[in-house]
Amino acid sequence: MPVSMPFEFLFLISVAAGFVGAMSGMGGGVVLIPALTFFGLDIKHAIAVSIVSVIATSSGSASAYVRDRITNLKVGMFLEMFTIVGALAGAAITLVSSHRPLFFAFGVVLLGSWAALFAARHQTWQPEKRQDAFSKWLELQGRYDDQATRETVEYRGVRAYLGGPLMFGAGLIAGLLGIGAGALKVLIHDLVMGLPPKVSTTTSNLIIGVTALAGTSVYLAAGMIDPGLVAPAMLGVLVGAFVGTRVLVRVSNEAVRRFFQVILAVLGVEMIVRGIRG
Amino acid sequence: MTHRARTEAGQQAATEHPARFDMEIIVGYILLGGVLVSMTLVTAGLAWRWIATGQLGLDYSIGGMNLFEFVLTEVRQVAADAVRPRLLVNLGIAVLMLTPYARVLASMLYFAFVERNGKYTLFTGFVFSVLTYSLFLQ
Repeated sequence: MPVSMPFEFLFLISVAAGFVGAMSGMGGGVVLIPALTFFGLDIKHAIAVSIVSVIATSSGSASAYVRDRITNLKVGMFLEMFTIVGALAGAAITLVSSHRPLFFAFGVVLLGSWAALFAARHQTWQPEKRQDAFSKWLELQGRYDDQATRETVEYRGVRAYLGGPLMFGAGLIAGLLGIGAGALKVLIHDLVMGLPPKVSTTTSNLIIGVTALAGTSVYLAAGMIDPGLVAPAMLGVLVGAFVGTRVLVRVSNEAVRRFFQVILAVLGVEMIVRGIRG
Repeated sequence: MTHRARTEAGQQAATEHPARFDMEIIVGYILLGGVLVSMTLVTAGLAWRWIATGQLGLDYSIGGMNLFEFVLTEVRQVAADAVRPRLLVNLGIAVLMLTPYARVLASMLYFAFVERNGKYTLFTGFVFSVLTYSLFLQ
Protein backbone atom coordinates (compact mmCIF):
# COMPACT_ATOMS: atom_id res chain seq x y z
CA MET A 1 0.00 0.00 0.00
CA PRO A 2 1.64 3.29 -1.02
CA VAL A 3 2.28 5.80 1.75
CA SER A 4 1.21 9.27 0.62
CA MET A 5 2.49 12.78 1.24
CA PRO A 6 1.76 15.76 -1.06
CA PHE A 7 4.41 16.03 -3.79
CA GLU A 8 5.05 19.77 -3.40
CA PHE A 9 5.36 19.45 0.38
CA LEU A 10 7.78 16.54 0.17
CA PHE A 11 9.81 18.31 -2.53
CA LEU A 12 10.16 21.46 -0.40
CA ILE A 13 11.15 19.50 2.72
CA SER A 14 13.75 17.66 0.62
CA VAL A 15 15.15 20.91 -0.83
CA ALA A 16 15.55 22.26 2.73
CA ALA A 17 17.13 18.97 3.87
CA GLY A 18 19.53 18.95 0.91
CA PHE A 19 20.47 22.58 1.56
CA VAL A 20 21.18 22.07 5.27
CA GLY A 21 22.90 18.75 4.53
CA ALA A 22 25.24 20.35 2.01
CA MET A 23 25.98 23.30 4.31
CA SER A 24 26.79 20.97 7.16
CA GLY A 25 28.66 18.43 5.05
CA MET A 26 26.61 15.50 6.37
CA GLY A 27 24.23 15.00 3.44
CA GLY A 28 20.46 15.33 3.30
CA GLY A 29 19.41 12.20 5.19
CA VAL A 30 20.31 13.57 8.61
CA VAL A 31 17.73 16.33 8.19
CA LEU A 32 15.30 14.58 5.82
CA ILE A 33 14.41 11.68 8.12
CA PRO A 34 13.59 13.78 11.21
CA ALA A 35 11.60 16.20 9.01
CA LEU A 36 9.61 13.45 7.27
CA THR A 37 8.80 11.68 10.51
CA PHE A 38 7.89 15.01 12.14
CA PHE A 39 5.27 15.50 9.41
CA GLY A 40 3.80 12.07 9.96
CA LEU A 41 5.69 9.65 7.71
CA ASP A 42 6.52 6.27 9.21
CA ILE A 43 10.24 6.15 10.15
CA LYS A 44 10.96 2.99 8.12
CA HIS A 45 9.55 4.57 4.95
CA ALA A 46 11.45 7.79 5.73
CA ILE A 47 14.66 5.74 5.99
CA ALA A 48 13.94 3.98 2.66
CA VAL A 49 13.23 7.32 0.93
CA SER A 50 16.34 8.90 2.40
CA ILE A 51 18.74 6.12 1.45
CA VAL A 52 17.82 6.42 -2.25
CA SER A 53 18.38 10.19 -2.16
CA VAL A 54 21.76 9.51 -0.51
CA ILE A 55 22.83 7.60 -3.67
CA ALA A 56 21.93 10.67 -5.78
CA THR A 57 23.76 13.27 -3.68
CA SER A 58 26.79 11.05 -3.10
CA SER A 59 27.19 10.12 -6.77
CA GLY A 60 26.69 13.73 -7.90
CA SER A 61 29.31 15.20 -5.62
CA ALA A 62 31.74 12.25 -5.85
CA SER A 63 31.84 12.58 -9.65
CA ALA A 64 33.44 16.03 -9.38
CA TYR A 65 35.85 15.11 -6.58
CA VAL A 66 37.04 11.97 -8.39
CA ARG A 67 37.72 13.88 -11.60
CA ASP A 68 39.61 16.51 -9.58
CA ARG A 69 41.76 13.63 -8.34
CA ILE A 70 41.34 14.44 -4.65
CA THR A 71 39.50 11.21 -3.85
CA ASN A 72 41.75 8.25 -3.08
CA LEU A 73 40.12 5.43 -5.06
CA LYS A 74 42.18 2.67 -3.47
CA VAL A 75 41.30 3.78 0.06
CA GLY A 76 37.65 3.95 -1.01
CA MET A 77 37.62 0.54 -2.68
CA PHE A 78 39.33 -1.17 0.23
CA LEU A 79 36.93 0.32 2.80
CA GLU A 80 33.81 -0.37 0.70
CA MET A 81 34.30 -4.08 1.37
CA PHE A 82 33.44 -3.40 5.00
CA THR A 83 30.76 -0.73 4.63
CA ILE A 84 28.54 -2.68 2.20
CA VAL A 85 28.41 -5.72 4.47
CA GLY A 86 27.58 -3.39 7.38
CA ALA A 87 24.86 -1.65 5.35
CA LEU A 88 23.18 -4.96 4.44
CA ALA A 89 23.16 -5.98 8.10
CA GLY A 90 21.90 -2.55 9.20
CA ALA A 91 19.02 -2.47 6.70
CA ALA A 92 18.00 -6.01 7.66
CA ILE A 93 17.91 -4.97 11.35
CA THR A 94 15.70 -1.96 10.49
CA LEU A 95 13.16 -4.20 8.75
CA VAL A 96 12.63 -6.32 11.85
CA SER A 97 13.02 -3.53 14.40
CA SER A 98 10.19 -1.61 16.06
CA HIS A 99 10.03 2.17 15.64
CA ARG A 100 11.18 3.37 19.05
CA PRO A 101 14.73 1.93 18.92
CA LEU A 102 15.18 3.51 15.48
CA PHE A 103 14.26 6.98 16.76
CA PHE A 104 16.54 6.45 19.72
CA ALA A 105 19.45 5.16 17.59
CA PHE A 106 19.05 8.09 15.20
CA GLY A 107 19.20 10.58 18.07
CA VAL A 108 22.25 8.90 19.61
CA VAL A 109 24.10 8.91 16.26
CA LEU A 110 23.35 12.62 15.76
CA LEU A 111 24.47 13.55 19.27
CA GLY A 112 27.53 11.29 18.91
CA SER A 113 28.46 13.09 15.67
CA TRP A 114 27.97 16.42 17.43
CA ALA A 115 30.25 15.37 20.31
CA ALA A 116 32.94 14.02 17.96
CA LEU A 117 32.95 17.20 15.88
CA PHE A 118 33.05 19.33 19.02
CA ALA A 119 36.01 17.35 20.39
CA ALA A 120 37.90 17.55 17.08
CA ARG A 121 37.24 21.27 16.47
CA HIS A 122 40.83 22.43 17.13
CA GLN A 123 42.59 19.53 15.44
CA THR A 124 44.82 20.17 12.47
CA TRP A 125 46.09 17.50 10.09
CA GLN A 126 49.70 16.40 10.24
CA PRO A 127 51.11 13.94 7.69
CA GLU A 128 51.97 10.51 9.07
CA LYS A 129 55.72 9.93 9.07
CA ARG A 130 55.59 6.13 8.98
CA GLN A 131 53.24 3.76 7.26
CA ASP A 132 52.50 0.31 8.69
CA ALA A 133 53.25 -2.73 6.50
CA PHE A 134 49.59 -3.61 5.86
CA SER A 135 48.66 -0.10 4.72
CA LYS A 136 51.76 -0.01 2.56
CA TRP A 137 50.79 -3.34 1.00
CA LEU A 138 47.36 -1.83 0.29
CA GLU A 139 49.06 1.12 -1.51
CA LEU A 140 47.16 3.66 0.60
CA GLN A 141 49.45 6.59 -0.11
CA GLY A 142 48.77 9.43 -2.49
CA ARG A 143 49.04 13.11 -3.33
CA TYR A 144 46.75 15.80 -4.59
CA ASP A 145 47.03 19.42 -5.70
CA ASP A 146 45.41 21.71 -3.13
CA GLN A 147 43.86 24.57 -5.08
CA ALA A 148 43.51 26.76 -1.97
CA THR A 149 47.20 26.66 -0.98
CA ARG A 150 48.52 25.88 -4.49
CA GLU A 151 50.63 23.08 -3.09
CA THR A 152 50.89 19.36 -3.69
CA VAL A 153 49.91 17.54 -0.50
CA GLU A 154 51.50 14.12 -0.02
CA TYR A 155 50.09 11.68 2.52
CA ARG A 156 50.24 8.09 3.71
CA GLY A 157 47.17 6.24 4.89
CA VAL A 158 47.87 4.23 8.08
CA ARG A 159 46.17 1.70 10.39
CA ALA A 160 44.02 0.17 7.64
CA TYR A 161 43.69 -2.90 9.88
CA LEU A 162 41.63 -0.72 12.25
CA GLY A 163 39.96 1.50 9.66
CA GLY A 164 38.38 -1.46 7.82
CA PRO A 165 36.53 -3.02 10.78
CA LEU A 166 35.46 0.42 12.03
CA MET A 167 33.99 1.15 8.62
CA PHE A 168 31.79 -1.93 9.04
CA GLY A 169 30.21 -0.02 11.95
CA ALA A 170 29.78 3.11 9.81
CA GLY A 171 28.11 0.99 7.11
CA LEU A 172 25.84 -0.62 9.70
CA ILE A 173 24.65 2.80 10.87
CA ALA A 174 24.18 3.96 7.26
CA GLY A 175 22.01 0.96 6.38
CA LEU A 176 20.16 1.01 9.69
CA LEU A 177 19.22 4.69 9.58
CA GLY A 178 19.21 5.48 5.85
CA ILE A 179 21.90 8.13 6.10
CA GLY A 180 25.34 8.47 4.52
CA ALA A 181 27.04 8.36 7.95
CA GLY A 182 29.61 10.66 6.36
CA ALA A 183 30.63 12.30 9.64
CA LEU A 184 31.56 8.92 11.08
CA LYS A 185 33.43 7.85 7.95
CA VAL A 186 35.35 11.13 7.86
CA LEU A 187 36.28 10.71 11.53
CA ILE A 188 37.66 7.23 10.83
CA HIS A 189 39.64 8.52 7.84
CA ASP A 190 40.95 11.51 9.81
CA LEU A 191 41.64 10.16 13.26
CA VAL A 192 42.42 6.48 12.57
CA MET A 193 43.85 6.42 9.05
CA GLY A 194 45.63 9.78 9.07
CA LEU A 195 44.21 11.06 5.78
CA PRO A 196 44.10 14.81 5.04
CA PRO A 197 40.62 16.39 5.57
CA LYS A 198 39.92 16.92 1.86
CA VAL A 199 40.85 13.35 0.99
CA SER A 200 38.74 12.11 3.94
CA THR A 201 35.65 14.00 2.88
CA THR A 202 35.86 13.21 -0.82
CA THR A 203 36.70 9.53 -0.32
CA SER A 204 33.85 9.24 2.18
CA ASN A 205 31.53 10.66 -0.50
CA LEU A 206 32.58 7.94 -2.93
CA ILE A 207 32.01 5.16 -0.38
CA ILE A 208 28.60 6.51 0.67
CA GLY A 209 27.02 5.83 -2.76
CA VAL A 210 27.91 2.13 -2.83
CA THR A 211 27.01 1.72 0.85
CA ALA A 212 23.62 3.32 0.27
CA LEU A 213 23.02 1.05 -2.73
CA ALA A 214 23.56 -2.03 -0.54
CA GLY A 215 21.02 -0.68 1.96
CA THR A 216 18.57 0.32 -0.78
CA SER A 217 18.58 -3.19 -2.24
CA VAL A 218 17.23 -4.55 1.07
CA TYR A 219 14.48 -1.90 1.24
CA LEU A 220 13.59 -2.51 -2.42
CA ALA A 221 13.25 -6.25 -1.84
CA ALA A 222 11.03 -5.49 1.17
CA GLY A 223 8.71 -3.40 -1.05
CA MET A 224 9.50 -0.17 0.79
CA ILE A 225 10.73 1.89 -2.17
CA ASP A 226 7.76 4.01 -3.11
CA PRO A 227 8.39 6.09 -6.29
CA GLY A 228 5.74 8.61 -5.21
CA LEU A 229 7.97 9.48 -2.23
CA VAL A 230 11.38 8.73 -3.70
CA ALA A 231 11.04 10.86 -6.87
CA PRO A 232 10.34 14.23 -5.18
CA ALA A 233 12.82 13.46 -2.39
CA MET A 234 15.75 12.64 -4.70
CA LEU A 235 15.07 15.67 -6.91
CA GLY A 236 14.56 17.99 -3.92
CA VAL A 237 17.65 16.87 -2.03
CA LEU A 238 19.79 17.30 -5.17
CA VAL A 239 18.43 20.81 -5.81
CA GLY A 240 18.97 21.76 -2.15
CA ALA A 241 22.48 20.31 -2.13
CA PHE A 242 23.32 22.18 -5.35
CA VAL A 243 22.24 25.52 -3.83
CA GLY A 244 23.82 24.68 -0.46
CA THR A 245 27.26 24.01 -1.89
CA ARG A 246 27.17 27.38 -3.67
CA VAL A 247 26.17 29.23 -0.51
CA LEU A 248 28.77 27.31 1.48
CA VAL A 249 31.71 28.89 -0.34
CA ARG A 250 30.42 32.39 0.56
CA VAL A 251 30.18 31.92 4.31
CA SER A 252 32.94 31.45 6.88
CA ASN A 253 33.98 28.01 8.14
CA GLU A 254 33.26 29.07 11.70
CA ALA A 255 29.68 30.10 10.86
CA VAL A 256 29.06 26.79 9.07
CA ARG A 257 30.49 24.80 11.95
CA ARG A 258 28.32 26.57 14.53
CA PHE A 259 25.21 26.26 12.37
CA PHE A 260 25.87 22.56 11.86
CA GLN A 261 26.45 21.87 15.55
CA VAL A 262 23.17 23.54 16.51
CA ILE A 263 21.27 21.53 13.88
CA LEU A 264 22.82 18.25 15.02
CA ALA A 265 22.13 18.88 18.69
CA VAL A 266 18.50 19.98 18.15
CA LEU A 267 17.66 17.07 15.84
CA GLY A 268 19.47 14.57 18.06
CA VAL A 269 17.57 15.61 21.20
CA GLU A 270 14.28 15.75 19.29
CA MET A 271 14.68 12.20 17.94
CA ILE A 272 15.65 10.78 21.36
CA VAL A 273 12.61 12.46 22.96
CA ARG A 274 10.38 10.93 20.32
CA GLY A 275 12.01 7.54 20.86
CA ILE A 276 11.33 7.77 24.60
CA ARG A 277 7.74 8.98 24.11
CA GLY A 278 7.09 6.33 21.47
CA MET B 1 56.51 24.28 -3.06
CA THR B 2 57.41 26.10 -6.29
CA HIS B 3 55.48 25.68 -9.52
CA ARG B 4 58.40 23.82 -11.08
CA ALA B 5 58.62 21.44 -8.15
CA ARG B 6 54.88 20.82 -8.38
CA THR B 7 55.11 20.13 -12.08
CA GLU B 8 57.95 17.70 -11.52
CA ALA B 9 55.97 16.01 -8.77
CA GLY B 10 53.00 15.68 -11.11
CA GLN B 11 55.15 14.20 -13.86
CA GLN B 12 56.67 11.77 -11.41
CA ALA B 13 53.20 10.75 -10.29
CA ALA B 14 52.15 10.24 -13.90
CA THR B 15 55.19 8.05 -14.51
CA GLU B 16 54.61 6.04 -11.35
CA HIS B 17 50.90 5.58 -12.06
CA PRO B 18 50.42 5.94 -15.83
CA ALA B 19 46.87 4.52 -15.73
CA ARG B 20 45.60 6.55 -12.76
CA PHE B 21 44.28 9.45 -14.80
CA ASP B 22 42.02 7.25 -16.91
CA MET B 23 40.60 5.38 -13.93
CA GLU B 24 39.49 8.60 -12.28
CA ILE B 25 38.03 10.00 -15.46
CA ILE B 26 36.06 6.79 -16.12
CA VAL B 27 34.69 6.60 -12.56
CA GLY B 28 33.92 10.33 -12.48
CA TYR B 29 31.98 10.29 -15.73
CA ILE B 30 30.05 7.12 -14.88
CA LEU B 31 28.82 8.79 -11.68
CA LEU B 32 28.04 12.10 -13.37
CA GLY B 33 26.33 10.47 -16.36
CA GLY B 34 24.26 8.17 -14.15
CA VAL B 35 22.96 10.98 -11.97
CA LEU B 36 22.19 13.23 -14.95
CA VAL B 37 20.33 10.50 -16.89
CA SER B 38 18.43 9.47 -13.77
CA MET B 39 17.36 13.02 -12.90
CA THR B 40 16.37 13.71 -16.51
CA LEU B 41 14.16 10.61 -16.64
CA VAL B 42 12.47 11.37 -13.30
CA THR B 43 11.93 15.04 -14.20
CA ALA B 44 10.57 14.11 -17.65
CA GLY B 45 8.20 11.55 -16.13
CA LEU B 46 6.88 14.02 -13.57
CA ALA B 47 6.53 16.82 -16.13
CA TRP B 48 4.65 14.47 -18.48
CA ARG B 49 2.30 13.46 -15.66
CA TRP B 50 1.69 17.10 -14.75
CA ILE B 51 0.93 18.04 -18.37
CA ALA B 52 -1.35 15.01 -18.82
CA THR B 53 -3.24 15.09 -15.51
CA GLY B 54 -2.47 18.42 -13.84
CA GLN B 55 -0.99 16.50 -10.89
CA LEU B 56 2.61 15.79 -9.90
CA GLY B 57 2.10 13.12 -7.27
CA LEU B 58 2.48 9.41 -8.03
CA ASP B 59 0.49 6.92 -6.01
CA TYR B 60 1.97 3.44 -6.35
CA SER B 61 4.71 1.35 -4.83
CA ILE B 62 7.18 -1.15 -6.25
CA GLY B 63 5.93 -4.46 -4.92
CA GLY B 64 8.81 -6.32 -3.29
CA MET B 65 10.99 -7.17 -6.27
CA ASN B 66 14.75 -7.03 -6.69
CA LEU B 67 16.51 -4.51 -8.91
CA PHE B 68 16.99 -6.87 -11.83
CA GLU B 69 13.31 -7.87 -11.89
CA PHE B 70 12.44 -4.18 -11.61
CA VAL B 71 14.70 -3.24 -14.55
CA LEU B 72 13.44 -6.19 -16.61
CA THR B 73 9.81 -5.17 -16.04
CA GLU B 74 10.55 -1.61 -17.16
CA VAL B 75 12.56 -2.69 -20.22
CA ARG B 76 9.71 -5.00 -21.30
CA GLN B 77 7.31 -2.08 -21.10
CA VAL B 78 9.64 0.06 -23.22
CA ALA B 79 9.87 -2.81 -25.76
CA ALA B 80 6.08 -3.09 -25.77
CA ASP B 81 5.86 0.63 -26.53
CA ALA B 82 4.03 1.20 -23.24
CA VAL B 83 5.95 4.36 -22.39
CA ARG B 84 4.13 6.48 -19.80
CA PRO B 85 5.12 8.91 -17.01
CA ARG B 86 5.36 6.23 -14.37
CA LEU B 87 7.73 4.18 -16.54
CA LEU B 88 10.12 7.13 -16.94
CA VAL B 89 10.19 7.70 -13.17
CA ASN B 90 10.84 4.00 -12.54
CA LEU B 91 13.63 3.98 -15.12
CA GLY B 92 15.14 7.05 -13.45
CA ILE B 93 15.19 5.27 -10.08
CA ALA B 94 16.66 2.13 -11.69
CA VAL B 95 19.40 4.11 -13.45
CA LEU B 96 20.27 5.84 -10.17
CA MET B 97 20.61 2.49 -8.41
CA LEU B 98 22.69 1.06 -11.23
CA THR B 99 25.12 4.02 -11.19
CA PRO B 100 27.31 2.98 -8.21
CA TYR B 101 26.99 -0.63 -9.37
CA ALA B 102 28.35 0.30 -12.81
CA ARG B 103 31.12 2.28 -11.15
CA VAL B 104 32.24 -0.78 -9.15
CA LEU B 105 32.09 -2.99 -12.28
CA ALA B 106 34.16 -0.50 -14.29
CA SER B 107 36.73 -0.25 -11.47
CA MET B 108 37.01 -4.04 -11.26
CA LEU B 109 37.55 -4.37 -15.02
CA TYR B 110 40.05 -1.53 -14.98
CA PHE B 111 42.08 -3.05 -12.15
CA ALA B 112 41.96 -6.45 -13.87
CA PHE B 113 42.78 -5.55 -17.47
CA VAL B 114 44.44 -2.13 -17.48
CA GLU B 115 46.30 -1.77 -14.20
CA ARG B 116 46.69 -5.55 -13.79
CA ASN B 117 46.47 -5.13 -10.02
CA GLY B 118 45.40 -8.51 -8.60
CA LYS B 119 44.82 -7.20 -5.08
CA TYR B 120 42.37 -4.49 -6.07
CA THR B 121 40.74 -6.71 -8.69
CA LEU B 122 39.96 -9.06 -5.80
CA PHE B 123 38.71 -6.25 -3.54
CA THR B 124 36.44 -4.69 -6.17
CA GLY B 125 35.38 -8.19 -7.23
CA PHE B 126 34.26 -8.87 -3.67
CA VAL B 127 32.29 -5.59 -3.55
CA PHE B 128 30.74 -6.36 -6.93
CA SER B 129 29.75 -9.89 -5.84
CA VAL B 130 28.14 -8.71 -2.59
CA LEU B 131 26.27 -5.94 -4.40
CA THR B 132 25.08 -8.41 -7.07
CA TYR B 133 23.86 -10.76 -4.34
CA SER B 134 22.07 -7.93 -2.54
CA LEU B 135 20.43 -6.74 -5.76
CA PHE B 136 19.05 -10.27 -6.27
CA LEU B 137 17.50 -10.33 -2.77
CA GLN B 138 13.86 -11.32 -2.65
